[in-house]
Amino acid sequence: MIKSVEFKYFKVLRDATLPLSQFTLIVGPNGCGKTTALQGLLCLGGKLGISYASVVSAGARKDTPNASVSPRWGKPWDKFNVWFSWVPTLNPRLQFDTGGKPLHEEDLEAVLRELRSIEIYALDARAIALPVHLEAEVRLASDGKGLAGVLDRMRDNHPERFEALNHDLGHWLPEFDRVLFETPQPGHRGILLRTREGGYSIRAADLSQGTLLALTIMTLAWLPDPPSIVCFEEPDRGLHPRLLRDVRDALYRLAYPEGFEEKRPPVQVIATTHSPYMLDLFRDHPDEIVIANRDGDNVRFERLSDRKDLDEILRDSHLGDVWYSGILGGVPDAP
Amino acid sequence: MKVAILSESEADEAAIRVLVEGALGRPVELVSKPSLRARGWPSVRQLVPKVIAHLQYRTDADGLVVVADANNSAPHLPGHEEPGGQEPKCRLCLLKGEVARTVGELRPVAGRSLLRTAVGLACPAIEAWYLCGREVGVTERAWEEAMQGKGTPFNRNWLKLKVYGTDRPGIVKCTRRGVEEARRLADVLDELERAFPKGFGSLRDDLRGW
Repeated sequence: MIKSVEFKYFKVLRDATLPLSQFTLIVGPNGCGKTTALQGLLCLGGKLGISYASVVSAGARKDTPNASVSPRWGKPWDKFNVWFSWVPTLNPRLQFDTGGKPLHEEDLEAVLRELRSIEIYALDARAIALPVHLEAEVRLASDGKGLAGVLDRMRDNHPERFEALNHDLGHWLPEFDRVLFETPQPGHRGILLRTREGGYSIRAADLSQGTLLALTIMTLAWLPDPPSIVCFEEPDRGLHPRLLRDVRDALYRLAYPEGFEEKRPPVQVIATTHSPYMLDLFRDHPDEIVIANRDGDNVRFERLSDRKDLDEILRDSHLGDVWYSGILGGVPDAP
Repeated sequence: MKVAILSESEADEAAIRVLVEGALGRPVELVSKPSLRARGWPSVRQLVPKVIAHLQYRTDADGLVVVADANNSAPHLPGHEEPGGQEPKCRLCLLKGEVARTVGELRPVAGRSLLRTAVGLACPAIEAWYLCGREVGVTERAWEEAMQGKGTPFNRNWLKLKVYGTDRPGIVKCTRRGVEEARRLADVLDELERAFPKGFGSLRDDLRGW
C-alpha cells in the first residue's frame, strides 16, 4: 500500500505530501490539486505522459527546478524508494533506490506492477452506454467505456459474481432486477436493464446517467480482479444522496474485501468528492479523510484525524455541514 | 396497524420494525413508501415536526416510531422526567419534547384518530441493543459511566466490530444482522429493557400506550 505521495513542483502541488490509507477520501475546493494528485499517480505507472514544460509549477520554470512525484510504500517495500522526475533537459523517467540494500529484481517488478495497475475512473455516462467489440480481455476504460464487455465476461467466467451484482442492482436501483445483453451487430455487446415491473428491457443508451454511473461503480466493486490501486473522481456525481451509502459500500468492498466475505486482495482506493452528503458517511473514520487546502501558491493536504479538536468541533453536527462552513478548511477562498 | 419508522438507515428501520412488532405483539404494516429517513441526529430532530404533520394530514398512518442514536450526548437522568426537568443536551428529552409539542398542535382530521408516537434512543448506537445478552458489559449504565470516565468505554466502531465482524459493514450485512438480532431480542424484551431502561424503555413505554 502507498502510505503517502510527495509532490515537488508538480503543477499546483509545489511542495505537498498526500497521506493515504487503504481507503482515502479527498475533499477540497476546485483547483486545489485533487485531480492533479491522481494524475501524478498515473504518471508513476507510465499511463500518462506529460512533458517537463507541462508539468512544472507555473512560475517555477525560470529557476529550472526538477519536478517529481514520489510514493512512500508501506511494508514490505517501505525501504524501497521509487519516484518519477522531470528535469528540463531530459526525458521524464522513473528512478528508484533501495536505501543501500541490494536490489531484488522481484521487488522492483512487484512495485512496478503495482504502479502500472493504477487506474483513475472519471466516469462518463455516454461512454458507459456504448456497445463494445468483444475481445478476450476487455477492461473498463477510465471513462467507463467497455462496461458491456466487462459484464459479459463476468457473466461467463464468474457467474456467482454476476448474480451477486444483479442482487446489488435490485438494492441500489429497485426499479430494475437484471442486467441483460444484446448483440447490436456481430461481435459486439450492449447492455440492457430489465425493469422489475413489466420485465421491459431498457437499452443502455436510454437509461439515465445516474443509473449508468451507479451500474459501473457496482461492477467495479464486484470485479474478481480489480486493479490494485483505484482512484475515483467524484463517485457521487449524478447519484441520489440516498444511493451514496451504497457507493460507500462499493468502495469499501474494494478496499476491505474481508469485511464483505471477499477472498481477493484488498484494493487501495482513493476518491475525491465535493459532496457534504458523501463526507457525512465517513464520520466514524476521520483517518480516511484528507482535506486539501490552498494556501496562496501552495497546497497542503491534512488528514482529518490529525485535528486534535475534531470531536469538540463536530459534536452534534454533520461532518459535511462543518466542512462546508469552512471550519475544517478545504473550501474556496473568499473573492 | 400502519406505522411509520423514522431512523437513520434502512438497516435500523428493518430491525426497529421487528422490535416494535415484538413490543406490540402483532405485525405492523409500514405506511410510507418510500421510507422516511434522517441523515443522523441533527436531521432527526429537525424532521420530526414535518414528519408528524405529513403523517397526520397526508397519510393513513396510525403511529410513528422515532429512534435515534445517542452517540456522545448527555445521558437521560430521572430528573428529566419531572415537570420542567428536561435537559437541552439530552437527546431523549429533546425528541420527546419535540414530538409532544408537535402532536399537541395537530388539528383533528375527520375519520381518523390522532397519530400515536413512540420515541427511543439507542445508547450510543443501535448496535449496543443488538449486543444485549451477548456482551454483559454493554448496557446503558456502562455507557453513562464510561462517559463520566468511570469505566471502559466502548465506541461505535467497537460495537460494529462485535456485531458485524467489521467496523465498515455494508448495508446488506447491517440489515441482515440487525434483523437477526432484533428477532432474538423480540423474545427477551424485558432483558433489553433492563439493559437499556431509558432509551429502549422509553420506546416500549410509549408502545404500551398504543
